Amino acid sequence: MANPMRIRAAAKDGVTEVRVLMSHVMETGQRKDSSGAVIPAHFITELTAKHNDKVVLSAQFGPSVSTNPYLAFKFNGGAKGDKVVVSWVDNKGDSRTDEVQVA
Amino acid sequence: MSRFSKTLMALFVGGATMAALAPAMAFDRYQGIGRPATASEVKAWDIDVRPDFVGLPKGRGTVDQGVELWETHCASCHGAFGESNEVFTPIVGGTTQDDIKTGRVKALVTGDAPQRSTLMKVPTVSTLFDYIQRAMPWTAPKSLKPDEVYAILAYILNLADVVPADFELSDENIREVQERMPNRNGMTTDHGMWPGAGAAKGGIGNGGKPDVKNVACMKDCKKEVQIVSALPDYAQDAHGNLAEQNRPVGQTRGKQTGTPAEQKGDAAPSAAAATLALANEKGCMACHGVSNKIVGPGYNEILAKYKGQTDAEAKLIAKVKAGGQGVWGAVPMPPQGHVKDEEIKQLVQWILEGAKAQ
Repeated sequence: MANPMRIRAAAKDGVTEVRVLMSHVMETGQRKDSSGAVIPAHFITELTAKHNDKVVLSAQFGPSVSTNPYLAFKFNGGAKGDKVVVSWVDNKGDSRTDEVQVA
Repeated sequence: MSRFSKTLMALFVGGATMAALAPAMAFDRYQGIGRPATASEVKAWDIDVRPDFVGLPKGRGTVDQGVELWETHCASCHGAFGESNEVFTPIVGGTTQDDIKTGRVKALVTGDAPQRSTLMKVPTVSTLFDYIQRAMPWTAPKSLKPDEVYAILAYILNLADVVPADFELSDENIREVQERMPNRNGMTTDHGMWPGAGAAKGGIGNGGKPDVKNVACMKDCKKEVQIVSALPDYAQDAHGNLAEQNRPVGQTRGKQTGTPAEQKGDAAPSAAAATLALANEKGCMACHGVSNKIVGPGYNEILAKYKGQTDAEAKLIAKVKAGGQGVWGAVPMPPQGHVKDEEIKQLVQWILEGAKAQ
């Protein structure tokens, strides 16, 4: 199980800005370790963000995204106390879901 | 030299003298100049927070308060989670729960982290407090109140999972936080950069012993110096004359470089130049110019007249040796019996090659 994501959601003038810092190695599968063996690919493939069970962002990630990815997005609506849930799935089938209340 | 740098020089010279006199000097050297700093002046100046928490102001701040302050003052450069490396290197990242337990950041040893973050390196939490209070925000340093510094520091520590999200950092519990700093055991003082006495004598460093311990190579030394590579001639003076660029004091002297052509000229003058010198020495130049008539014909005229004649050399040698009259006018050329045969030959060849100076 991966480390928790850090999520911050703030509503202002009817727009909610969400910022997420994921904790993931995001290994591309192109690198080799010190003995020359290829380090197997391990990266997030899908990311979903929900606002009170309604999907507001759905994204496909790939190996070009950096280690510990940072993601920021805005959506219309959202009020203080609403729930924002972000979840991802990686190519090894691991997943992680974290939620935060809109501030 | 400008007036400013002259003043600097004077200060340097004066400084050297002062250093020698320093123990005896104290305040009485400058009678009537300045005054001792007042207590409030010292207080305004003395803002440091030391690793033993001397100088730490009283106060408290929670992680939640820190989030608000971070968004306002810090996030624009450091990122919302202290992760940004756009303006500065990341503050947070690269530390694990294991590091917090052991007090030594493993990624620093293995080199796993792509970049060194602040929390990977800093061994003392007081340093973070001191730096934030002293220098942050970049645009308005020293503008944060102690409580705000505590809150921001609490947030940073929470980002690295050093403290929980509901933590309140204060002057009372900051010592406990120090015991959880990820790299608290990562600092060594056993090297020569630390001033003062060594650890054995009550100091913190090693007494100024240099870091190099070149034991392995101090045996089987070569007895003779063997130069295996050198700058080629054309590159000798790539930076001008090195000898002129070194101080006339100390161990190091620059090599005389200069332009290689000049160097060669000095060492072994070319054959043409040598012959010109010979012509001067033997008095030829008194009557013959290189490119003009004086009493006798110029060498250029002689060359023009005899060019292409296969027996020119022998004919001229004979003329020089015996003297002659009539070819160039009424003024005779006296016999040159005092000049050796090979020298005459050299001079004639030189004339027939154009009487070059180089």
